[in-house]
Amino acid sequence: MSGLTGADTVATWVAAIATLVVLGGLLGERRAFGWSQHLLAGLATGLIAVLAIRELIVPRVVEPLLADPGSRGDLWIGLGLVVTTAAAPWIPRAAAAVPISILVGSLAAFALGGAVIGTLLPQLAASLARSEDSAVSTLVTIGSATITVLVLVGFLHGAPRGRLVGTASAAGRWIMLAGLGAWLGYLILSRLVLLLDRLTFLTGDWLGLGR
Amino acid sequence: MSERGDILGRLAPLVLMIILAAAALLPTDAGLDFANADASAARQLAKGLDGLPADPLVLVGFDPDLGTYAEIRPTVRTLIADLLERNARLAFISLTPEGRALAITELERLRQAGIAPARLIDLGYLPGAEAGLVSLADAVAAAGRDSALAPRGLGGRAPSLAIVIGGNDLGPRSWVEQVEPRAPDLPIAAVVPAVLLPDVQPYVAGGQLSALVATPRDGAAYRASANVGDFANVAESDGPPVVSVFLGLLAALGVLGAGVWSRLIDLARGSRAGEAA
Repeated sequence: MSGLTGADTVATWVAAIATLVVLGGLLGERRAFGWSQHLLAGLATGLIAVLAIRELIVPRVVEPLLADPGSRGDLWIGLGLVVTTAAAPWIPRAAAAVPISILVGSLAAFALGGAVIGTLLPQLAASLARSEDSAVSTLVTIGSATITVLVLVGFLHGAPRGRLVGTASAAGRWIMLAGLGAWLGYLILSRLVLLLDRLTFLTGDWLGLGR
Repeated sequence: MSERGDILGRLAPLVLMIILAAAALLPTDAGLDFANADASAARQLAKGLDGLPADPLVLVGFDPDLGTYAEIRPTVRTLIADLLERNARLAFISLTPEGRALAITELERLRQAGIAPARLIDLGYLPGAEAGLVSLADAVAAAGRDSALAPRGLGGRAPSLAIVIGGNDLGPRSWVEQVEPRAPDLPIAAVVPAVLLPDVQPYVAGGQLSALVATPRDGAAYRASANVGDFANVAESDGPPVVSVFLGLLAALGVLGAGVWSRLIDLARGSRAGEAA
């Protein structure tokens, strides 16, 4: 760990100990691992509180309102909704439901609208079979359209269907299983790389091996 | 499970970790190299960067998650160095608290590396999830417009490119859904961990993402081809140790194969018992 300041050295040791404690969970050491989970939860909660105060409440609400209270009607409305939410246990239920309704409704509207415009329609258009510049590209679009149709048919649970639709539905479910298997492979790769990052941190940054 | 089997089961992860750690100490060119594989994703990203104007403003949507950032960190740092070498100004913004924590770390690292403060714009944490993204898209599409949520640090300039560092809930998919329809002139490129590849790959094929680097292989190919020039101290050239990845995947296949094998044995025993009955 040559070339590090004292603070860097302390940080490396703390990180190494925390890493060992977490890896110890794999070997059955649950008590220290539980403490590390509490530490992570506490740090995350503290971070969110600090972010909310320093990067949201003070600069985006308090400061603009103090600077020009008369012209920020939008912030006064927002502040009113926040106060209503905080006072929810002591005010009528109908009034407390207003900010929650606005929150859930607006988030759902943005998310659903974006999903339809940005994902559903473009991806449906992309999965249509059409003539392309090369035969291979055309076959790819036909293959994409076929897979899309089979997977959609695979969701026909319990609906009355004949032999053809039943076969297509079974094929669609197998395609979905294959997709899940591929995703599991990517998941294993991601987690393996994370484990290796921690191991190389322990051997390289902490123990100074192989550097 | 017998006591011996229980002990072996507990020791197996330790043995695997020791083997992986030992393999990580081998030279990185020990016969396997990710960067020699298909480099089309890296070329597509480089093509997008080559098309940037002089002294561009690049918006960096920084929302990786702690669990997967280790996988993309070398590629992200090399990409930042590549952009700095192209005289870009980088505007960092995060839509999740986790992404903001990691952005603060990277910004501090860049400052310690001596990057001029004028080249780094910290737009901070943008709350509101999808609503925040909509506000950001509106600010980008009509630069200079005032909004309670939109970042004020862009200074009225429209960015030439958005790079989304994904991994968290609000990643490239949210950017494509919320930003792309409202600011269609802003190309979006993404760097995400491999686990998100199936989620994001269709947007590349559909042309909604201009480039995507999503696997250790793509990342290695990009890092091998990127010209970081004077910013080598910002880049991180070493990816995950290839031999260890190979051994780890073999172990994973072995575990999966053992599960399938024991299932087949159970099925065979069950059918034999049925025949005997």
